[in-house]
Amino acid sequence: MAHNFRTDLAIDWCPGCGDFGILTALTQALSESGTDPRNVVLASGIGCSGKTPHYVNVAGIHTLHGRAIPFAVGIKLANPNLKVLVTSGDGDMLGIGAGHFVAEGRRNVGLTVMIYDNQVYGLTKGQASPTMTLGMQTKSLSKPNIFGSINPITLALSAGYTFVARGFSFDTKQLKDIIKRAMVHEGSSVIDILQPCPTYNNVNTMEVFRKKVYKLEDDKDWDPVITNSNEEQLMEKYQQAYKKGMEWDDRIPTGIFFENRTVPSFPKRISEHSKSYLENPPALQVVSDEHGKSIVDPMKTFADRIV
Amino acid sequence: MSKIDISIVIGGPQGGGIDTSSNMITRAFSYSGFPVISVREFHSNIKGRHSYVHLRVKDEKPKSFRYPVDVLVALDPDTIFEHFEDIGKGSKIIYDTEFETSDLSQARMIMRDTAQRIKNELESKKQPLNIKGVLNLMKENGGIPIGIPFSKVVTSVVSEGPATRYFNTLGASVTLSILGVDKDSTKSAIKDIFGNKEKVIEPNLKVVDSSYDYCETNGFKIRDLGKMPAKKVMLLTGNDGAAIGKIIGGLRFQTYYPITPASDESTILEEHDSIKWLEEESQNLKRGGVTVIQTEDEISAITMACGAALTGTRSSTATSGPGFSLMAEGISFAGMDEIPVVITMYQRGGPSTGLPTRNQQSDLLFALNTGHGEFPRIVMSSGDVEECIYDSIKALNYAQRYQLPVIHLIDKTLANTTEVVDSIDPDLVPIIGRVSPEKGSEIKRYSLNTENGISAMGTFGNNIFWMTGDEHDELGHVTEDSMMRDRQMEKRFRKIETARKEIPVSEMAQIIGDEKADITLVTWGSQKSLVIDILDDLSREGIRAKLLYLRMFQPFPSEFVSEVLKKSRKVISIESNMTSQAATVIRTNTGIEIKNNIVKYNGRHMTEDELLSAVKKIIEGKSEREVLRNGA
Ligand SMILES: Cc1ncc(C[n+]2csc(CCOP(=O)(O)OP(=O)(O)O)c2C)c(N)n1
Ligand code: SF4
Ligand SMILES: [Mg+2]
Repeated sequence: MAHNFRTDLAIDWCPGCGDFGILTALTQALSESGTDPRNVVLASGIGCSGKTPHYVNVAGIHTLHGRAIPFAVGIKLANPNLKVLVTSGDGDMLGIGAGHFVAEGRRNVGLTVMIYDNQVYGLTKGQASPTMTLGMQTKSLSKPNIFGSINPITLALSAGYTFVARGFSFDTKQLKDIIKRAMVHEGSSVIDILQPCPTYNNVNTMEVFRKKVYKLEDDKDWDPVITNSNEEQLMEKYQQAYKKGMEWDDRIPTGIFFENRTVPSFPKRISEHSKSYLENPPALQVVSDEHGKSIVDPMKTFADRIV
Repeated sequence: MSKIDISIVIGGPQGGGIDTSSNMITRAFSYSGFPVISVREFHSNIKGRHSYVHLRVKDEKPKSFRYPVDVLVALDPDTIFEHFEDIGKGSKIIYDTEFETSDLSQARMIMRDTAQRIKNELESKKQPLNIKGVLNLMKENGGIPIGIPFSKVVTSVVSEGPATRYFNTLGASVTLSILGVDKDSTKSAIKDIFGNKEKVIEPNLKVVDSSYDYCETNGFKIRDLGKMPAKKVMLLTGNDGAAIGKIIGGLRFQTYYPITPASDESTILEEHDSIKWLEEESQNLKRGGVTVIQTEDEISAITMACGAALTGTRSSTATSGPGFSLMAEGISFAGMDEIPVVITMYQRGGPSTGLPTRNQQSDLLFALNTGHGEFPRIVMSSGDVEECIYDSIKALNYAQRYQLPVIHLIDKTLANTTEVVDSIDPDLVPIIGRVSPEKGSEIKRYSLNTENGISAMGTFGNNIFWMTGDEHDELGHVTEDSMMRDRQMEKRFRKIETARKEIPVSEMAQIIGDEKADITLVTWGSQKSLVIDILDDLSREGIRAKLLYLRMFQPFPSEFVSEVLKKSRKVISIESNMTSQAATVIRTNTGIEIKNNIVKYNGRHMTEDELLSAVKKIIEGKSEREVLRNGA
């Protein structure tokens, strides 16, 4: 029988929340990807978005606010055979967790990072998140937002992510396809997901986004993929990705902005100097014989300390 | 009583090679069959400020340090200034005659407050504010200055390169020669330190020769030390011990963010990440190495270690106070979600950045309370290098057995103390695994169907289950049900009672020395060995005392400690902090207040002389609280 990727838990997001569409796209992507559900782990932070793992029938860990990435990195590096996806809020990932977000760009461990971008802190009742634009005022704010906004696309590019995309929670087909492709990508990917929050964000609603979004892939010439480390190609793909990434006010591009297949993943980098790492990563190693005897020879391992 | 008992301080500018000198001294004595203990003191600075190694040599394994020193080796003028108080009758001060013209005002790398204290001392004794003045002070205290023309001794045998390059070899050689260590041992030390670098070895050997000749000619040699049968031993620091124990104990994933004095442990793990195996036991097993990851911060370090632990990997992180503060939320998560993770916590001087490279035991109460909410944890501490090894194995075992965060405390003094360890026997602490469900099965990760509180721990990659920092049901989904909350809280806390029953009391606290003695000294951490020396000192003066040595603070051996203290007439706590934190833990757990306290919080290691006089003062009823202040 086919694995049911949904748990039977009652979902407690507000009616009309964009999170539902993300959940649908995610479970469909998992199901269509053909991955053994036991080899998938979902890690989330805290927020409305953070609840996602409980609704998905794969191993899941609902971690701390902002810390989904380091948990996920630990899981992935201890067992690189696992597919590890991160479902996070915009406050979670780009506010409190921004340091980890940037660090992961440098590592390129191989995570699929999904950012539920609703421009508010949903679960704490609608404060401005780091993606809310300067001067914007939602009904939950007593005054217009006096912070500038972070651009998740260009930040991800600058941080070094090797796969950068945007989806829209009300286009589950496109989002599902992006997630599937991100899961196949060897390095770490970021998917910024426009996620209307009907409860707190009355400015960027589903209707507003619907009018503004367009698909990069609709342009037949759009090709975000880098397949060899040719400087010129790299420069060109970066430039077009940044340019598209800067579009926001009237028209918002969705789809894949950038996909660089030439940067070695972190597990590969580890295996460069630790030859057995990919074959025998930490999680698959046996550390003692059946009697509990350690298999380490400490005097030989630390022979340099003998005098 | 020990026939040989030599204390040495060798000091110089940070980055100036005193480590090589102390390594030479340690090895040369070892080759002659005399064990050495040494501890490193240094500023939070890379180049220039005063650092020194305090060593002690005995014919039996030395356990502690002592002032005044028998030999002070000064590789720069600052060392003479800084150690003006550490000289006693017969102390030799070895220094470069060129220093004689140095003024205190030129010693810009001496902290202003220290310079002021030296100045005050010199002025009060009507001495000039220069090296001559300090040497005069030292002579008044019985010191014997031995000025040596460093450059001349070097250039008489080596012409290439700057002579200063060899001053550390010279300093060590002169010391060894004066103390009567045979030249062959000294030369072997050079050869072993520099390995196969022939070009380096050759001139250094020449400097050894010329240093020995110089001392011989000038009649500096005190005695012939002779040779004792020497065997192969290991020279290990506390940092080494922890790293070794972790690897033996099955650690395969370590995270860290650089911080003194913790990150040495992680770099040692990195250097030894390709493990050597016991072939017979392991040839058919999957074996690899340790993965060590430098993270973006300590929040990442603890949460990444947790993530790795959830795949079934034995994992840990190492940090010090500031990083440990950042880990608080992650440790709370590990408690809530029952994650087996070890945090090796190297205590240094706080609060805040405090004394970043100095000793302190001021994080005990913090370790017991880190993280919001109430959750079980194990808090244990090591007192010498061997304990660092075996306790690190145990810490990993406890984490797996009880599925909780284990905080392993090591203090800076212990981290940076080099001790002789005869050999390591991994069989002393067999590896204990966790309770695991069947591979591939659906599991109730937080099953309440458990008397001892321990439920089978699934792993990512093998089982489907959920985890959340929220209160959760048996499957690991969020719940706010009042009854489920109570039952999960109680389940978690049953584990600590299980641990209390299963872990032998001797792993938690020990009586060392004369059990019937009614004077009890209480200590923990790096003072362990020192207090054992104090017991000997006291018994030599006819005073019977014992040591209550504490190793585990959660679970705490309340009954045992209570029994011991109730039967004691006088109890003295000895700690490197201001507020006697272990005494506070004892009071919280037993209701017994320890009224006599010896404390030290200036960041320097406690020494035998100062502790003995403080203990005697309290025993004689002349004082209730003593603050120790030794150390440059
Ligand atoms: C360390 C910490 N600080 C604050 C909070 C409170 N908190 C819970 S959710 C949240 C904001 C969530 O916003 P976002 O990440 O955008 O997720 P959303 O709810 O919008 O999906 C905050 C601040 C917390 N859980 N942990
Ligand atoms: S508050 Fe907003 S983001 Fe949260 S569930 Fe409700 S609609 Fe969705
Ligand atoms: Mg949000």
